[in-house]
Amino acid sequence: MSDPLPQLDPVIHAQARLRVTVALAGLHSADQITFPRLQQLLDMTAGNLSTHLRKLEDAEYVEITKAYEHRTPVTLVRLTAAGRAAFESYTKALHQLLDATGGD
Amino acid sequence: MDDEPLSAEESLNLIAQQNRRTRRELGGGPARMLAAWALAWIVGWSFAYFTTQTETVPGWAGGVVVAVLFVAAMVYTGVVSARAGRGIRGPSKTVGAMYGYSWALSSMGLSVIDIRITMFGTLTSDQVSLLWSGTWLLLTGVQYLAGGMLWQDKLMYGLGGWMIVSAGLSVLVGFPANFLVLTICGGGGFLLGAIVYFVREKSGRR
Repeated sequence: MSDPLPQLDPVIHAQARLRVTVALAGLHSADQITFPRLQQLLDMTAGNLSTHLRKLEDAEYVEITKAYEHRTPVTLVRLTAAGRAAFESYTKALHQLLDATGGD
Repeated sequence: MDDEPLSAEESLNLIAQQNRRTRRELGGGPARMLAAWALAWIVGWSFAYFTTQTETVPGWAGGVVVAVLFVAAMVYTGVVSARAGRGIRGPSKTVGAMYGYSWALSSMGLSVIDIRITMFGTLTSDQVSLLWSGTWLLLTGVQYLAGGMLWQDKLMYGLGGWMIVSAGLSVLVGFPANFLVLTICGGGGFLLGAIVYFVREKSGRR
């Protein structure tokens, strides 16, 4: 293979944000998940998850919506189309790296 | 949760690990629910058949056992889907709820029809048995056809088709062999479906 080694997206390529992305990518594309349920899927503290979600939101990989349900505020999180695409190219890049460095 | 740089291999492992966890928490697939229904059908209907072959157990006991097992399977299915859907909003939640309600609605409708026809008393008890097994297998089959269309799941659709064939078969073989059709074709169909979904989950396919 003569292709140059692919760059890994720094927004996704960090343990915590990678896990957040994977969990969100496991939902159907138009679905949203509440903040507490996402927290439970990831075993992260609220503060930690907020920090990483903000970074993903800044990159427009994640969309965060605040809504009211029965007068209770809920925070809903969704992976955007751009986020899904970024995750796909990230995993593709990982496989390319592994093929290039790990022999066969 | 420090952000030490990950190697490509570590990243892929982390993805696989989180994927497994997410899939398990979000309900994974229908394997466990189908297994519950397989158990209810196989145990319930084989016991109903058994009551027709012996004098020691009255026929109504079969009906009671089937009813208890079906209610248990319904509760299990409801609890599993409600837990899986916790905190999820959006189209898949709506579709899932509509599917659940369509089961409830059509079951209630069919119960009214079958009970009313049974109450006329013009059918023999053997014919009543065929009415119930045929219509319920048909309803189950149609619901699975609908589920297959909703989730673009060919296996579910195929299971629906199989249930409809079984509905016809159960009426054609007559009483009490219709209970064997319910056990082997109906319950067996659920069991086969559960096994296929289970193998798929283990091999990591969605």
